[in-house]
Amino acid sequence: MNQSMLGLVQNETVKLLRRRRFLVVVLILAILIPIFTYAQYRSVVTAQERMGTTDWRPLLTQQIVDMQNRLASSRLPDEWRDFIKIRIQQQQYYLDHDINPMAPGGPTFARGFMDQAISMFLPMIIVVLAVDIVSAEFSEGTIKLLLTRPVRRWKVLTSKYITLLLFTSLTVLMTLILAYLLSGVVFGYSGWDLPILTGFEVSGGELVTSGAFMLPQWQFLLMQYGLGWFVCIVVGTVTFMVSVLIRSAAAGMGIMMAALISGTILTQMASSWESSKYLFVVNLQLTNYLNGTLPPIKGMTLPFSLAVLTIWAVAALIVAYTVFTRRDVTS
Amino acid sequence: MGETVLAVSRLQKTIGKKQIIHDITFDVFAGEVFGFLGPNGAGKTTTIRMLVGLAKADGGDIRIGGISLRENFPEAISQVGCIVENPELYKFLTGRENLEQFARMSGGITQERIEEIVRFVDLERAIDDKVKTYSLGMRQRLGIAQALLHRPKILILDEPTNGLDPAGIRELRQFIRRLAEEEGLAVFISSHLLSEIEMMCDRVAIINQGKVISVGLVQELMEQFADQVEWTIPHAHLPKALEVLRGHNAVTDLLTVGEESVRTRMDMERVAEVNQKLVQAGVPVVGIATKTVTLEDLFLTLTGGGGEK
Repeated sequence: MNQSMLGLVQNETVKLLRRRRFLVVVLILAILIPIFTYAQYRSVVTAQERMGTTDWRPLLTQQIVDMQNRLASSRLPDEWRDFIKIRIQQQQYYLDHDINPMAPGGPTFARGFMDQAISMFLPMIIVVLAVDIVSAEFSEGTIKLLLTRPVRRWKVLTSKYITLLLFTSLTVLMTLILAYLLSGVVFGYSGWDLPILTGFEVSGGELVTSGAFMLPQWQFLLMQYGLGWFVCIVVGTVTFMVSVLIRSAAAGMGIMMAALISGTILTQMASSWESSKYLFVVNLQLTNYLNGTLPPIKGMTLPFSLAVLTIWAVAALIVAYTVFTRRDVTS
Repeated sequence: MGETVLAVSRLQKTIGKKQIIHDITFDVFAGEVFGFLGPNGAGKTTTIRMLVGLAKADGGDIRIGGISLRENFPEAISQVGCIVENPELYKFLTGRENLEQFARMSGGITQERIEEIVRFVDLERAIDDKVKTYSLGMRQRLGIAQALLHRPKILILDEPTNGLDPAGIRELRQFIRRLAEEEGLAVFISSHLLSEIEMMCDRVAIINQGKVISVGLVQELMEQFADQVEWTIPHAHLPKALEVLRGHNAVTDLLTVGEESVRTRMDMERVAEVNQKLVQAGVPVVGIATKTVTLEDLFLTLTGGGGEK
């Protein structure tokens, strides 16, 4: 990166910080993570009270029995049946190998948090960060100052994108740090070396455990947050395009929220509409591939989802650059 | 007359299916204030947007300091300082932070230069306050500061007096004259107000419906129409009258209008003297009408009332 680009990125960083966008993001995380921590704590306590013990083995055994009972119900749809079977196999595996899947601790909470946050919560936070990074310049009229400098338009846009990438990465990092630090107050800070089972494969609706192996939790977290980072980059890139195309931040926000929410709904509707797997919003739940959860639509794999997300991001960038460098600025 | 700083030739622009700018050609020289005059909707702002690279021209050429804006945008635009419409700055930053933003984009601007320009626009006391606390006049001055920061050769201002009070307008006018006369800057000002152009500018281009109608010195354009005297003389005596008028040293220009009328440009104070000469030569003068034409009249004449073709 040459000197002038460094100056441009510095400019964008100043603007982003002074617009207090990153502060908002950190505040959202700092408020919601304690809430989730408390909810997690309550559910652990409730489970223990019900079991009348703090030993997790009977709890896990009970869960397996519960799921087997549900399987016995004839009204259960087939796809749920497959899913529950896989969960039972998995839980049984933990039990057999003496692994507490819910072992509390900061790292375990951070892992659970990313599982939950990757498809909705984190993307929404990234949307907050990215949605007006270009459009605010248009709505405030400052774009006229920005584009009448001796800097080519593509460089101006690149500096904004680099800044977005930096802050998206920082947000994912902050999520890990805050999730660990804040939940650790309740659950303690140990558990980095806890063995986590991964490497499940789903083949024809069956969980294939032959490739399963153990990973220390810190390695698993690294993979998980890496995938979370990738999802955030893709969502950030698509939002970036929306920010170029749509001048109103409120409209841009609405579009991205609608997209993310419909993604969640489509994921739950599962396999009935198979080609929806090419939508980026259906492919956000990347951590499920690590956990061995059945994908929402048959035929979806980690490489498939990564490819779909990459293609969407590249297409969004092409649109953003084409429009931004060619468009006449009017008031 | 200084070097040519801005050369615009055969500029064209079509938006949608409508051709907004048909054929605009003019030059702006160093050290002059150039007015760009036209009614609202004449294409002034569209032209300015093309001059500063916010919109792309469909045809024609814009050269700034001899460098084509289309071929080498960064180098051409680095010689331009501009305020298009209102001076919109980052309201959540201080005045100084705003200037630092633009300094980093232009390159080669020292902290001393920023201090210098802040003193120049007289904003020392408010420069570390957020721009959202500024009055319109202060924003205008900060806008000028950002436009002059990188020492441009030409300053382009789009309707700069919009929203200013009379004192502010007077201050701006003096400021602009100073820039042109003392700093040798070319200043390009668009306006739909004739009085403004008349008071501020050396030369003016008058545009209407995307075409340049006239380019010239403001004084010359004024003189062309100003101080006219219209003599009404019976048709039979017209040749004699013309002979007398031509021979008189007070009359500088002469035009026959219709069958019984002669229009002259002349020193108003000598009308009686000329009249006496006509009467002595046996020409019965039926009527004498004096008329001082303002730029307003000129403008209306040239644009055919401003509206229709």
